Amino acid sequence: MSEASEALTSGRAAADRIVKVKRLNACLTPPKELRSSLIRQAQAAHPSGVLYGMPVAVKDNICTLEFTTSCGSKILEGYRSPYEATAVTKLKAAGALIAGKTNCDEFGMGSSTEHSAYGRTLHPGDKNRVAGGSSGGSAALVAAGAAPAALGSETGGSVRQPASFCGVVGIKPTYGRVSRWGLVAFGSSLDQIGVVGRSVHDAARVLSVISGRDPKDSTCEDRDPLRLPTVPESLQGFVIGIPKEYFPPDLDPGVRRACDRAIRLLKELGAAVRDVSLPHTSYAVPTYYIVAPAEASSNLARYDGARYGPRFDGSADVRSLYRHTRGEGFGPEVRRRILIGTYVLSSGYYDAYYRKAQQVRGLIAQDFRHVFDRGVDLLFTPTTPTPAFKAGEKTADPVSMYLSDIFTVTANLAGLPALSLPLGRIKGLPIGGQFIGQAFLEDEMLEAAYALERVVPAGEEV
Amino acid sequence: MSVTREQVLKIAQLAELEVDEEALPALAEQMSRILDYVAQLAGVVANDSARPFIPGPDALRFRPDEVKPIPLALEVSALAPAFKEGFFLVPRLGQFEEEPEA
Repeated sequence: MSEASEALTSGRAAADRIVKVKRLNACLTPPKELRSSLIRQAQAAHPSGVLYGMPVAVKDNICTLEFTTSCGSKILEGYRSPYEATAVTKLKAAGALIAGKTNCDEFGMGSSTEHSAYGRTLHPGDKNRVAGGSSGGSAALVAAGAAPAALGSETGGSVRQPASFCGVVGIKPTYGRVSRWGLVAFGSSLDQIGVVGRSVHDAARVLSVISGRDPKDSTCEDRDPLRLPTVPESLQGFVIGIPKEYFPPDLDPGVRRACDRAIRLLKELGAAVRDVSLPHTSYAVPTYYIVAPAEASSNLARYDGARYGPRFDGSADVRSLYRHTRGEGFGPEVRRRILIGTYVLSSGYYDAYYRKAQQVRGLIAQDFRHVFDRGVDLLFTPTTPTPAFKAGEKTADPVSMYLSDIFTVTANLAGLPALSLPLGRIKGLPIGGQFIGQAFLEDEMLEAAYALERVVPAGEEV
Repeated sequence: MSVTREQVLKIAQLAELEVDEEALPALAEQMSRILDYVAQLAGVVANDSARPFIPGPDALRFRPDEVKPIPLALEVSALAPAFKEGFFLVPRLGQFEEEPEA
């Protein structure tokens, strides 16, 4: 079979697999459009690329030329971006096929995809449970075997949390490792494009391709693309810290058992394991829910019915057109966060909320620096406090939903790389464990993840 | 921290967001709960010596948050036939769009 026909076969097969799992509502691209685009892309794909013929699905808040970019929102329904994200350009240059747009919580605001305007994504193992979020469509599609990898994005754990719920690998790189050009902004000081993969290797390969400098994004570091490490024989010489704040007394017993088993395996692999403390961890979620809505209220000011997407018309003047379009176009969670963000930035409240949150963010980043300065290479924690929760369980109580990000938001606040990988199952539901690494030392994090992935019985009950 | 219905309306006005009258009580209750939750930061000992964390390249620094005039040779208002309260006055939106077919 020629190289060109191999890519064509791969494109057709990917379309078939994605359409077959349509019931999950993980992919928002209509089947016909997906199939014809994948065939066109396969015919044009460059055979010398390192990802030649590999289908990679893309979260719906990352701009693509091939498909619409709605961010899971009614306010951008049918929107076609005139340019594509640098990460997508890099994937295509490496020969990958963009395998449709994946469902997500509106503008990335949510932990379950229940805040998508296009309905929630079902958990691949239990339709009554959520796939996690906000990159739930990407995680569910990969977990169902429809694509080997997918791009997601993180502001507070939106790649790692759904990866943990669905039993796949999720990587959030260091802030500045991957260009944000073409990632629709939510919280600009927190947002990063990340990768969901079937295995550490699949996810790392895609991360390596999309990483590296980009003159279009001034927050992207002037660095070469990430070089992938080899799979280590052992973890001799690694010092892995276990932060006590990530193992509270009320942690789900199954999650605790899975983490204890993984820590035992890390020791058997030769790593030195040390108890450490990150004392400001409990303030991470409140800090995040001031900083992220504040940035979102500013970033989402541009959606007014005049420039993007549908316009909810019939207004008497331009101001009521803005208000009417935004009131109709945004869903309840986005509206709530815009209001909270506007409130904490408003005169009289700025110092008490936003300024204070920026200071506490500094303390959270300082906690990590202290631990890493004392010889710890990596941290190991649970990714989420529980396995995937039931649909509707947390929608009435926003704070309860926010707390499902309790172990993931710290890495976003401190700009550090982190990775979730499957550790085992509780009553059939996957449990994830998380490595948090030092800034721009993703290679060390990947080495540890490669080693642990080889020995942990991730498909078995704990 | 209890957010009143009037406060929600004021914030919604600042955010250019229309809020349904019937959604107001629930929204005020949810905002109050969220603000109560985040208010725990008030108890953290942190002052200006706690360095705010700014991710990204070291060379990247925020500009001072100051409103400055736009450096144009002419005032913005001089560039349009009609200008009022910071807006260009233009024909009504939709005036040139085709009428929907009956």
